[in-house]
Amino acid sequence: MSTSKALRQPVTLRMLSASFLTFWCLLAAFPIVWIAVMSVKAPLDAFASNPFDVILGPITKAQGRGLTVLDIAVLLIGLWLAVRVAMRVLPGLAARYSPPGFLALGWVVVILGYGIALFLLGFVVLPPVLGAINAALGLDPLIGLTTQHYHSVWVKNAFWKNFVNSAVVTTGVVTISLTVGTLAGYGLARSGSNLAFWLLIAALIFRALPHSVLVAGYLPIFINSAEILRPILGENAPTLYGQPLAVIAVLVSINQPFTIWMLRSFFQSIPAELDEAARVDGCTHFQAFRRVIMPVMWPGVITTGLFSFLLAYNDFLVTSLLLDQSDMTMVPAIAGYFNRETTMTDQVEAIAAAVSITAPLFLLVMIFQRQIVSGLTAGAVKG
Amino acid sequence: MKRKSLLVAAVLAALVSGPATAACSFRNEVPVRILSAAFEAWKSVTDAMAECGNVTASLDQEFRTKLSAAFAAKPALYQMAGVSNTTIPPLLNQNTIRPLNDLVEKHGQHLKPNQLIKVGDDIVAVAMMVNTQELAYRKDIFDELGLEVPGTYDELFEVAEKIRESDKVAYPLGGTTMSGWNLALEWINFYASLAGDSFVNPDGTPNFNNENGIRALELLKRTTEYMDPEYLMSDSTFVQQQMQHGKIAMANLWASRVGAMDNEAESTVVGKVHTAPSPIAAEGARPVAMLYWDGIVIPRNISDEAAEAAFRVAMEGLSTEMVQAHNDDAVWLIDGYQPGRLAEGAVATATADPGPVPYPMTIEMGLVHSAIGNQISGFFTGTKSAEAALMAAEEEYRTAAGEAGLLH
Amino acid sequence: MRFKTFACFVGPSLLLMVLFIAVPLVSVFIQSFHVTQPVIERIETERCTAGFLEQQCSTEIKNVPVLDERGSIVTTTRFVGLENYRAVVRPDSVQAAISSWNWPALMAIDFWKALRFTLSFTLITLPLVIGLGLTIALAVNNTTRSIRGPVIFVSLLPYIITPVIGALSIRWLFVGDGILTQAMEAWSGRQISMFAQGWTIELLMLFYRVWHVAPFAFVIFYAGLQTMNRDAIEAAMMDGASRFERLRYVIIPHLMPLIFFVSLIHLMDAYRVFEEVVGFRSQAHVISLQWLTYDLLQPDDAGNRAVSRASASAMLTMIGIVILLVPLLRKSWRDHKGVR
Repeated sequence: MSTSKALRQPVTLRMLSASFLTFWCLLAAFPIVWIAVMSVKAPLDAFASNPFDVILGPITKAQGRGLTVLDIAVLLIGLWLAVRVAMRVLPGLAARYSPPGFLALGWVVVILGYGIALFLLGFVVLPPVLGAINAALGLDPLIGLTTQHYHSVWVKNAFWKNFVNSAVVTTGVVTISLTVGTLAGYGLARSGSNLAFWLLIAALIFRALPHSVLVAGYLPIFINSAEILRPILGENAPTLYGQPLAVIAVLVSINQPFTIWMLRSFFQSIPAELDEAARVDGCTHFQAFRRVIMPVMWPGVITTGLFSFLLAYNDFLVTSLLLDQSDMTMVPAIAGYFNRETTMTDQVEAIAAAVSITAPLFLLVMIFQRQIVSGLTAGAVKG
Repeated sequence: MKRKSLLVAAVLAALVSGPATAACSFRNEVPVRILSAAFEAWKSVTDAMAECGNVTASLDQEFRTKLSAAFAAKPALYQMAGVSNTTIPPLLNQNTIRPLNDLVEKHGQHLKPNQLIKVGDDIVAVAMMVNTQELAYRKDIFDELGLEVPGTYDELFEVAEKIRESDKVAYPLGGTTMSGWNLALEWINFYASLAGDSFVNPDGTPNFNNENGIRALELLKRTTEYMDPEYLMSDSTFVQQQMQHGKIAMANLWASRVGAMDNEAESTVVGKVHTAPSPIAAEGARPVAMLYWDGIVIPRNISDEAAEAAFRVAMEGLSTEMVQAHNDDAVWLIDGYQPGRLAEGAVATATADPGPVPYPMTIEMGLVHSAIGNQISGFFTGTKSAEAALMAAEEEYRTAAGEAGLLH
Repeated sequence: MRFKTFACFVGPSLLLMVLFIAVPLVSVFIQSFHVTQPVIERIETERCTAGFLEQQCSTEIKNVPVLDERGSIVTTTRFVGLENYRAVVRPDSVQAAISSWNWPALMAIDFWKALRFTLSFTLITLPLVIGLGLTIALAVNNTTRSIRGPVIFVSLLPYIITPVIGALSIRWLFVGDGILTQAMEAWSGRQISMFAQGWTIELLMLFYRVWHVAPFAFVIFYAGLQTMNRDAIEAAMMDGASRFERLRYVIIPHLMPLIFFVSLIHLMDAYRVFEEVVGFRSQAHVISLQWLTYDLLQPDDAGNRAVSRASASAMLTMIGIVILLVPLLRKSWRDHKGVR
């Protein structure tokens, strides 16, 4: 395209680069694809030592659960379409239909809607339709496949409760983290004082503190907080242990150093003349921030928000210790499956749960991929 | 079509599993929250309790970390907890367990005397099951090779050698030898087989760095020669899976884990595994096992009303109906339990003479367990001699006991 | 910006960090110089425990903590100076090991074993992560635009996947007769057990970390490449710079601030290595500093926790990371001065 002739590369280099990329993509995707395959097999197939048994699932097939040629074709086309839609159509939809100034809200609605639509289509509409067609055509299953583990995870073990808890914690962390972090990042970027520098360094050192030490320190205080706070708050003193809000506060704090570092370098890349001009017009710092900076800060904020999201969504140490079983988020709930004295069925269910956890992350990155890169390009990282 | 019927089943299940109180003899109005370790038997018991209504159970991985703080809070965060003789000492020490004498008198007349755990005159816990080790072995392989079930570890090594030569399985033996807690427990079992529960002297000084300790280490090391070379990461789930997949022929395993060998959905050796008492480490010794119990406790820092509700709910959970529905989940102490084929070995272990000693309910034992767990793996990876490993464990025990105020 | 405005902007963030990080940090610092222990008394009690057929009762002398009238355990706290640090670092054993040139004896001490692994883990993964991330970024930048989207998506997978699950999935591929172990066995014709010896486990841990973090480095470098000025490259070509020289003298210097940023983040994260030790169950062979702290804090069955030693070990971890970060921090300081 716009590549000038001089920059065109010799064939060997192109081949080398392409084969390296192929290798890397295989390496990156293989473990994840593999656990996805394991999650839809009967336990004996999933842990079979012959890889073909794992892929084809003879025992699963013998139990009468499987995919026919037609199913596989529909599945592949469906996946491809889903990815295309997510990457091409959704960002446009979100941008076009969200009310002005509420872009984030539009995104949330679009993503939720898309996820639900996919789920309905894949698990409710298609199976009976395909089942009928298969029966009519007399097709026999080719590959063993069962969704029973997903069924046990989501319905029998009420994994949706964990999903809701995860959603609450993650949303809370991302919102608060960004609100607090944007202000601090802006303040730090626009203040050249030594104090600002040392605050940043202190934040870095805070980030280095082992989390296990922090969390072990919180636990006894959180459990006894009702007793400790009673002299101050009276009878309504809350027990912080098991409160999603308390966990959100902890995760936000742990994540603050990274957030303010990223946002600070992003704000540094926005020319200071912009807000200085606004201040010449008589705006205070806060007004300048709201009128001039806020409209242009979204790429950096979205990128930083994604990192906060990953941290909150994937956290294990904090949530497993500070949350009660009934408020447990997904990751510790899964680790519970693995660590407790389990049967093999439990383990395959855990794998199914693990794949379920990964699915929203997939969706998110698919949709936000361009925003991540453009946010980073716009200068969220300048060191 | 299959998937459609699954969906229907799901809807039906959701309808049926609504607020069912059928199996509970009373309607519980007081909220009862339960914290317990997470394994199958607790799941069965807490499910049975939940039928009374207003019961929420946390089968929590971080149970040990949370339990003592949650009981010490005022009021306690839970109305009941499921503990074992390994996890009850911190509660006894901080005196946060409610004596159950009055409640047993009022609602627990049917309990058997060996279910009542006592300290002095106080009933502090009600046990529901015992756990111990038993030898699970592949009867088909033993019959084919004409092997006798080993009664001692010398015999076990001979048998293992023959199985290895026959090449019937990948490894003759499996064991819960994951470094840390599991490996230490195996060593403790061997030591207890040779020397009973004399891990520490009455004054708190260590007493395990001796001939018996070395012998226990060496025996344990010898068993690992017949195991998968990755034995240092083999926990009970791993051993269970190895046996279900027919990769090992014997394992001295938790009784609570052996039941899964007959689970048709995941085992390839259904009906082929039999059990025998855990072998003894030397002539005249005890079986290489210890006795554990699991049971319920009620915290002191709650109202009498809540305690009574919790106890009544507990009695509904520890009922004969529950045992009949989940007979093979554990070696129950509750009336109505019928040891199945896969629990015979455990019962034989528990009733052997001389029998296994109970795991000591003391502060010191926890320190011994972690010191051993941290230090002996060096002996297995070849970086330490047996003497050096035990010496290091003794040093660590002394440091930790000093910190805990036991030694000066 | 006036101090008051600055304080308003930074205040909320600072408050959170002080409350949830600085305060615990100070308390850990203080604890590391103290020992808190319960007052123990010895009493004789009869205890009955469950047997399968009958109860087993015994009368024994037990060490039991003394309780006060409110029912809590009476504890004493005393200042012990560097005693806790000594218990972690074990200077006399170290001296003995060093004077007799005995490396295994030094490695038999938990702290030094952990330090050895943590340092080598950090320093080995750093160049690998940067190198792999840069290579992927260059390769992706090299492909046609139409497949870039999917490739970036797949490349990001190892980074976004939940670490606990990522480590487990890699373990399944290798543990026992995992399919990759089998593949290697078929290829080499030998019996291979990846988890039977320390160095293979260490290799897998390194592999996992690089696999997990390289996408982060990649996406940042890739973003950096998008801002690359094409004129600079073309000018370099006019001067007859070879492909490698262009990389060395034009592209890398352009990306330098980003390499600095990735190194900073990676050094900190790798130094806190913890999930790998748990996920790969490597504690018999290798342990890390954070794992050591975690293990000391983890209550044993009887509820004992070595809080003082854990505090000392945590402080040592902190000191280690500050030392490691000094060169990078000095650069930040110079930049800061330069900006002003």
